[in-house]
Amino acid sequence: MRFYEALGLEPGLMLDAQDLQRRFYERSRQWHPDRRARAGAAEQQKALEMTAVLNDAFRTLRDPVARAGYFLEEHKIVSSKHPPAELLEEVFEMNMALDELRRGDESARPQLIDARDRFVKLLAEIDHGLSALSIQYDKSLRGTPDESLLLAIRGVLDRRQYVSNLIRDVEKELNVHVSN
Amino acid sequence: MAYSNKVLDHYNHPRNVGSMDKSDPNVGTGMVGAPECGDVMKLQVKVNPETGVIEDAKFKTFGCGSAIASSSLATEWLRGRTVDEALAIKNTDIVNELSLPPVKIHCSVLAEDAIKAAINDYKAKSGVTAKETATA
Ligand code: FES
Repeated sequence: MRFYEALGLEPGLMLDAQDLQRRFYERSRQWHPDRRARAGAAEQQKALEMTAVLNDAFRTLRDPVARAGYFLEEHKIVSSKHPPAELLEEVFEMNMALDELRRGDESARPQLIDARDRFVKLLAEIDHGLSALSIQYDKSLRGTPDESLLLAIRGVLDRRQYVSNLIRDVEKELNVHVSN
Repeated sequence: MAYSNKVLDHYNHPRNVGSMDKSDPNVGTGMVGAPECGDVMKLQVKVNPETGVIEDAKFKTFGCGSAIASSSLATEWLRGRTVDEALAIKNTDIVNELSLPPVKIHCSVLAEDAIKAAINDYKAKSGVTAKETATA
């Protein structure tokens, strides 16, 4: 996997943030285009490319969610077409309340704040689940990689995406209609 | 993107918006959502248990114009059909009727899924084993 290779890492879901940063700085310095000012055009081009890859790699790998997304992509595990069924009821209710608020009915606000808080809490739980699964998967890398864990992580990431969109939507609406 | 006249008509005058009592044994409820856009759709059918004919259908959709039009059209089509005829409705029928462009096909899929979910809910409630399960 390109991003891991660029930083001299073995592919895995758990990375040490400090080590990652150290590797990024080291390699960025090493490939800095200024250091090749007198090299040939091909060399310079290569340095530019490496710098770009290093930047992308660092930005992706330092964030556990983006990292897992990249990892799954490389494993060709695609997002599911179905949103989490157990959330639909609540999402529907939330949309009803959003409609009321948009029509100027302030009594919907407390319900929306509650919903937002629940989703924020859910997001924290999801992140917790993601790291538990990531640790488990990396352990399996010592033997036969457990593909079923990757599928589970796909589910977690999809849920995460869905929930964070919900939070964004409700927050947007809560901020537009600031009560006074 | 331009909506077809039929979409606009359903969008501006949605038919059968509303909801029915979920706990009524003759009412089947389908709740579906699209992950891409976060849209949600609730569709309900009220079935006559003697004849298996859908007597009433209601929907409420939070979503784009095409999703609203698709579900509005679906409720129109559902009324008077038997449960099994309802399951035969395909999203492509909706696409054709409303002339939906390719980017809006998923909105019609949502409506088909909602029909299936509602019918399956009714069947599960009334003890009929669903012989057809929602595909897609
Ligand atoms: S854009 Fe999402 S249902 Fe139409």
